Amino acid sequence: MGFGDLKSAAGLRVLNDFLADRSYIEGYVPSQADIAVFEAIDAPPPAELFHALRWYNHIKSYEKEKASLPGVKKALGKYGPADVEDTTGAATDSKDDDDIDLFGSDDEEESEEAKKLREERLAQYESKKSKKPAVVAKSSILLDVKPWDDETDMAKLEECVRSIQADGLVWGSSKLVPVGYGIKKLQIQCVVEDDKVGTDMLEERITAFEDYVQSMDVAAFNKI
Amino acid sequence: GPEELALLERLLGLPGGNKYGAQGERKVPVLQTNNGPGLTGFMTIAAHLVKQAKKDQLLGSTAEEKAVVQQWLEYRVTRVDGGSSKEDTTTILKDLNTHLEDKVYLAGNIFTLADILMYYGLHHVMVDLTVQEKEKYLNVSRWFNHIQHYPGVRQHLSNVIFIKNRLYTNVH
Repeated sequence: MGFGDLKSAAGLRVLNDFLADRSYIEGYVPSQADIAVFEAIDAPPPAELFHALRWYNHIKSYEKEKASLPGVKKALGKYGPADVEDTTGAATDSKDDDDIDLFGSDDEEESEEAKKLREERLAQYESKKSKKPAVVAKSSILLDVKPWDDETDMAKLEECVRSIQADGLVWGSSKLVPVGYGIKKLQIQCVVEDDKVGTDMLEERITAFEDYVQSMDVAAFNKI
Repeated sequence: GPEELALLERLLGLPGGNKYGAQGERKVPVLQTNNGPGLTGFMTIAAHLVKQAKKDQLLGSTAEEKAVVQQWLEYRVTRVDGGSSKEDTTTILKDLNTHLEDKVYLAGNIFTLADILMYYGLHHVMVDLTVQEKEKYLNVSRWFNHIQHYPGVRQHLSNVIFIKNRLYTNVH
């Protein structure tokens, strides 16, 4: 997790997207998570990143109470979207123990945190060095989801399907296709990472919405 | 109506026991008080309850906040309760979405009665929005989702689902 480099425009854009439908970095109240991210940012985000700016001004209004906000400040890599790493520069921690220590840390209490930080930094170094994103096998799947009858609330059915979240699953566009007798099926696209999500799992989770879904079929399956 | 005032009383932590009547064709709520003819009008009663509960900050602290709170309370009664066509609803959602672009709460940085009553007033609208509409009015969705999670607000009202995976991201 992380926002990329929060000192860069790209990192602020990730933050902006993340905050479009959230009031806070974590949960529904201001917490140390917000303070951690706030302190990593040098200046108010530019006006066009209006979600980030809204959040920034809001958290700034808690400046005086910041020590008493709930939670514990963690490394930036613990916040934000799951598929982005934190690459923000050294100023996140005032502790000195963050340098990559080749001989390992002797301090028992800190070793977990320092070890994780070290591993994160090493991973970032590796990925920067190789500069090639790993090739991930993906497929584009078109699913047909059939309701019980013509009275089924298709909007709710679609919401149920889209509420299925999984690592490696991204929902795409959808449409309603009439199949006769006034019944419409939901045809919805999704992109999956082959080694993480399979059609069996999708079928299981979709048909779990027994109130709305009668059955699910794979209408089309293409390797990307 | 009176059910909403009961919700508000519970949220404010008031012991209950207030007696409400209704006046006239439009069923304007009336709060019977011990001394006098009673308080008339939804917003008047709501503000009174806030003061009864000694939570005046919910009406705003600065003069500007107070004015903004009053603005949205008035909006709630005249536009949300008053209008009911699909066009009215669309206008309301657009207004709100623009207003909430740079604010976490209706009055800016603090939670106020405006957020509470606009939440109750709009609940039936939000429940019926499609996934696309919720994404279109992204700021409203963010604000609504926030308010419904605020302790004590939602009570028995249904939780409106907002999906995190944003699909129609070309609307900004």
